[in-house]
Amino acid sequence: MIGATSGYGKTVLPPFLSRDHTIAGPGFSRWLIPPAALSVHLCIGQVYATSVYKTALVEHFDSSLTAIGIVFSIAIVMLGLSAAVCGTWVDRNGPRAAMFTSACFWSVGFLVAAVGIGVGSLWLVYLGYGVIGGIGLGIGYISPVSTLIKWFPDRPGLATGLAIMGFGGGALIASPLSARLLQLYDQSGYVATDPSSVPDGHAVMLLFVTLGLAYFAFMMFGAFTVRVPADGWRPEGWDPHEIEERKLVTTASVSAANAIRTPQFWLLWLVLLCNVTAGIGILEQAAPMIQDFFRGGDGVSTVSATAAAGFVGLLSIANMTGRFVWSTTSDYTGRKPMYLVYLGAGMVLYLLLATTGNSSVALFVLLAAVILSFYGGGFATVPAYLRDLFGTYQVGAIHGRLLTAWSAAGVAGPLIVNGFLDAQGTPGELTASAYRPALLTMVGVLALGFVANLLIRPVDARFHEPQQPREPERSRA
Amino acid sequence: MTGRLVVAWTLVGIPLAYGLVETLRKAVGLFTG
Repeated sequence: MIGATSGYGKTVLPPFLSRDHTIAGPGFSRWLIPPAALSVHLCIGQVYATSVYKTALVEHFDSSLTAIGIVFSIAIVMLGLSAAVCGTWVDRNGPRAAMFTSACFWSVGFLVAAVGIGVGSLWLVYLGYGVIGGIGLGIGYISPVSTLIKWFPDRPGLATGLAIMGFGGGALIASPLSARLLQLYDQSGYVATDPSSVPDGHAVMLLFVTLGLAYFAFMMFGAFTVRVPADGWRPEGWDPHEIEERKLVTTASVSAANAIRTPQFWLLWLVLLCNVTAGIGILEQAAPMIQDFFRGGDGVSTVSATAAAGFVGLLSIANMTGRFVWSTTSDYTGRKPMYLVYLGAGMVLYLLLATTGNSSVALFVLLAAVILSFYGGGFATVPAYLRDLFGTYQVGAIHGRLLTAWSAAGVAGPLIVNGFLDAQGTPGELTASAYRPALLTMVGVLALGFVANLLIRPVDARFHEPQQPREPERSRA
Repeated sequence: MTGRLVVAWTLVGIPLAYGLVETLRKAVGLFTG
């Protein structure tokens, strides 16, 4: 046994937030947990809808797209860091405390950023939305994972897929809603349906205040709905011995401190890094990419800006759907085979995109949509994969540490694509061939992940806890 | 419990459906734009 207790420190919480107050009574339906989790993920998924007010902030601060883009980058980096640092705290104190804390950070982040917009300080926006909001993102993202896995030991892929689908869905909601609210608040004649129209800074400030307050209220619904199962609870008719029959699924427990000492953790970290890097490569460039792939002899794209925006919308739906569909499928196929599909089939699809993607718009859209569904599926399936390898004991904390791979991919993906494209020519004049080196590099990235996934074996018994550990809340009760 | 389930799923289902419909309307542009 290596480092069994892993630094569980006591945190003083108000009684209504304590884990002991969230133990489900008899008759509680576990199907209340997915909507509780969704209420958090639908809110924090807003982080992918920042493009709605990006140009407005550039004009308001008389700044550049890069300077404004840093707000989003800080938020994603803080997501990974706070998930890694706070994961143990989240597991220790339960989902209600975590969701409540996440709501406070996320909401205060919006309000501080609103003040920044109001007084003309971009640094306050970095601090508010980027740093404070980013901490809310990280805690919120992992807050329901461990609880869902405990409520759905028979179908962990379905449960986490439902919640993490919400993160993709959050952007679908926030994007049109923000555009409508900006039109309502704007006093300079902004029209949401006109792509050339830009709202004023005052409207963005009011939007941030509105979102901050609305998200807080919505996340409170999740915080006060969520429950943890009572000791010894199991789904009706489910036999825990079923999971012992699967080779890679453990019934043992591995602490978060021990998990990061195993090769399995770092192989899975690499798998996630590769899968996310490849997906971000397309996601970041989606609109210009489809236009560049289909240029006529005169250099003008045959795909209009409206159609390109439609393509981005379609990819968002594919990303969200993949999170639920593929993660649920993994309950039947097993996690390792599912990642072999994400990475192996992903390689083939990327290769086809690079070589034949410009032959037909329909083929291009189909290939990109399936690739993005694998990207979403990779995010949603990973908590169940962690449960299989390390058990349920501190799966939330382990998941938090693994999400640093997301932060790294957020840097690596755009760097690879933009680096190749910059070397190929000027934006607006690129063609399909300019994308080939970047796409073929992504095939290599996916191949690396494919090999890493193949190397994953059951965790060595020396990392297991010596006995079935007591639940953290029970040990204090 | 059934009532709570209906309320909970409705609360998250309505905004999700709104987002999905709005995005699908946008995605239609791919085939008509």
